Amino acid sequence: MTKHEPSLGSEITAHHALETRGYSLTYETPTGSVQALKSIDLVVPMGQTLGLVGESGSGKTSLAWALMRYLPSNARELGGELLLAGDDLRSKSKRQILDIRGRRLGMVFQDPSTSLNPTLTLGRQLAETLVRHRRLSNAAAWKAGEDILARTGIIRPAAMMHRYPHEASGGEKQRVVIATAFACEPECILFDEPTTALDVITSRQILDIFLKLQEETGVAALYISHDLSLVSRIAQKVAVIHKGTIVESGDTREIFQSPQHEYTRSLIAATPRPEIRLSGPAPNHDAPIVLKTHDLRVRYGSRSLLQVWLGRGEPPVEGARNVELTLRDGEILGIVGESGSGKSTIARAIAGIADFSGEIVFDGRKVRERREIDRDYRRASQIIFQNPDSSLNPRQRVGDIIARPLRLYGLEKGRAVQERVVELLTQVRLSPEYAQRFPHQLSGGEKQRVAIARAFAAKPKLVICDEITSSLDVSVQAAVSRLLVSLQAETKASCLFITHDLNLVRQIAHRIAVVYRGDVVDVFRTEDFDAPQRHDYTRSLLSAVGCVP
Amino acid sequence: MRELLKHPTGAVGVTLLSLVAFATVFGPFLAPYDPQQFHPLARLQGPSLAHWLGTDQFGRDLLSRILVGARSTILFGLFATIAGVFAGGAIGLVAGGIGGVVDNLIMRLLDGLLAVPDLLFTLLIVTVLGGGSGHAMFAVAIAFVPGLARISRSAVLSVRTRDFVTAAYARGESRGFVIVREIAPNTIAPVIVEASIRVSFAIMLGATLGFLGLGAQPPSTEWGLMIAEARQYMFRNPICVAAPGLAIALSALGFNLFGDALRDLTDPRGRR
Repeated sequence: MTKHEPSLGSEITAHHALETRGYSLTYETPTGSVQALKSIDLVVPMGQTLGLVGESGSGKTSLAWALMRYLPSNARELGGELLLAGDDLRSKSKRQILDIRGRRLGMVFQDPSTSLNPTLTLGRQLAETLVRHRRLSNAAAWKAGEDILARTGIIRPAAMMHRYPHEASGGEKQRVVIATAFACEPECILFDEPTTALDVITSRQILDIFLKLQEETGVAALYISHDLSLVSRIAQKVAVIHKGTIVESGDTREIFQSPQHEYTRSLIAATPRPEIRLSGPAPNHDAPIVLKTHDLRVRYGSRSLLQVWLGRGEPPVEGARNVELTLRDGEILGIVGESGSGKSTIARAIAGIADFSGEIVFDGRKVRERREIDRDYRRASQIIFQNPDSSLNPRQRVGDIIARPLRLYGLEKGRAVQERVVELLTQVRLSPEYAQRFPHQLSGGEKQRVAIARAFAAKPKLVICDEITSSLDVSVQAAVSRLLVSLQAETKASCLFITHDLNLVRQIAHRIAVVYRGDVVDVFRTEDFDAPQRHDYTRSLLSAVGCVP
Repeated sequence: MRELLKHPTGAVGVTLLSLVAFATVFGPFLAPYDPQQFHPLARLQGPSLAHWLGTDQFGRDLLSRILVGARSTILFGLFATIAGVFAGGAIGLVAGGIGGVVDNLIMRLLDGLLAVPDLLFTLLIVTVLGGGSGHAMFAVAIAFVPGLARISRSAVLSVRTRDFVTAAYARGESRGFVIVREIAPNTIAPVIVEASIRVSFAIMLGATLGFLGLGAQPPSTEWGLMIAEARQYMFRNPICVAAPGLAIALSALGFNLFGDALRDLTDPRGRR
């Protein structure tokens, strides 16, 4: 394929690939209208990438939908222009928009498993776009599809074309979606968080493919993300969006080196930097051992006796095997790995939620199976989950949620319960009147604080944090992890900190365990992260993450 | 409630239901005549100023009978459904909450019952127990148990995997506490929706049983029974059958639309 040549018309007037001028949008809701976008001015020059950075609810996805002309029925456009190479998209008819989508303006969504049709082969979906927009014959489109797939780094493109989405991995599916977007050589492609649903190493590969294809084809891109460090790697220009307003835009380097707007500064400050330690010093070598696991194994999907007789059913899968971990009093052990690696499985076994075999010695008590775990063990080991929307009962008030461990373990009685709840709320920096509220009246970060308060209410010796920051926005993530570390230091509890965020774990953990496909492949002190004797997998993880420049 | 009125089918449902509720509460006071009083001289009259809907074969005023009959018909539907909801809901909660063999046993048994049509099932029970309003109500309630148990169990299954349930088990809560305090409050919405639709079935079933002579017995005033009694005179004065029939249809429609709207509004996928 040839490098993109600007058409004659655009040479004369020198259009930008994509431009928005004073674009505003509101949503009408039963409780009144909500302004999603306020007078948005953006420019994506030909052949360049503009990174649009914002937190959830900032309006960045609304803008993408507006550009694709795919707004929900309660959206009202208040004015402004959306220009694709000088053509106003708002003045186009529905029929014209159908031709523009895919042909002149491509889009790549966050989750490739929902953006592909599960009943059609990948090749058919890729070829369909080419037939529709480049007027190729079916055979030619199929051949062209294979060529493009090969350029996205898929090893056997011909075989991949015949597969269905469920037969491909997340990374492979996203490659197909990206190939489809680039296939028609559009003027501009919108990327809406294309790597958020993928693990660290795969998303790094996807980014490399994006950079390679963009260089080869010269297609302009609007890259929407919440991840500043990621955007800094791929975009020449950056715009920061906050509550529907562009607060700052300019060259990537300038924005990162001398951010002007307060919000940009807070975003950059909130991005975890491994060199800034949040937690205190590691406990001494002679500190007592709180937790020790020996040959810990977790199996999923055991067959029933009937299935074994009939020879049916899948054999059980080992979610984690041969796990040997030790944790000293007051120590924070980070557990890292990609999704599906088994890091949560280990946490669930230690918290007494998953059945296991092997041995756990915790707080002087030895247990060999889940049934041996008593209430005292459970009091001393508290788990905090990833998503506070799901871990707090929506029908209970915050006060009752926090009071429950106090009553269950008989830690407080009568009026002292309420006093302790207020004390705990204050400890997690929430005001006491939150006790009367329901979880849905709280923001994501506030909910996670409540979950943390509930865990520390039990006065635990061990707190298991299972990805507790990953469902939160960047700025909230930083506050929540600081809160956790300060509570941990106050209470001297030990902590298992499970995360996929390597930069964050290096700020918090004293030691790090790396889990890969159910095995603990590497355990080391945090400062030895980049030592040469690290496991290959640890090194590939490290090379896949980037830092803010 | 305001959203319910904005919902088009919801508004119709609420309007019909308020009419029905009004008749149920105030019917006996509004009725212009005694619904039991025979007027041999005014039999099978058409609508007139004196008798807005005409009279039946014994000269009883039809409007009065409809208004008074509302109470027994509607209350029959409500009580039968409420009994069925409590029994079915509890069974589903236990089956879903405990899971495993218990769940399988209960649900397979209920699946078997579910295969029997509601009417046949109620007829069977009433035949065994004997007719009468109370027995018919009991029969309808029992017939509703398998369906409601299914609904409540499926609600439990969707809640059971949520992290707050896992968190409760991780804390060391007993199974009973988890089922009653953590899971049950989150399964109420779908059960209420199903129940409000079921009231209309219960009304229809009750009327059917009344018509077949197995529900309410002759001196009493009940819509299904009115149709049964007037059946012979259907061609001489059609309104004798049409009026109670329409009353049954409209109240059933009211509950049905109300339930549909409630389902739309409580389903988060239907909201934007």
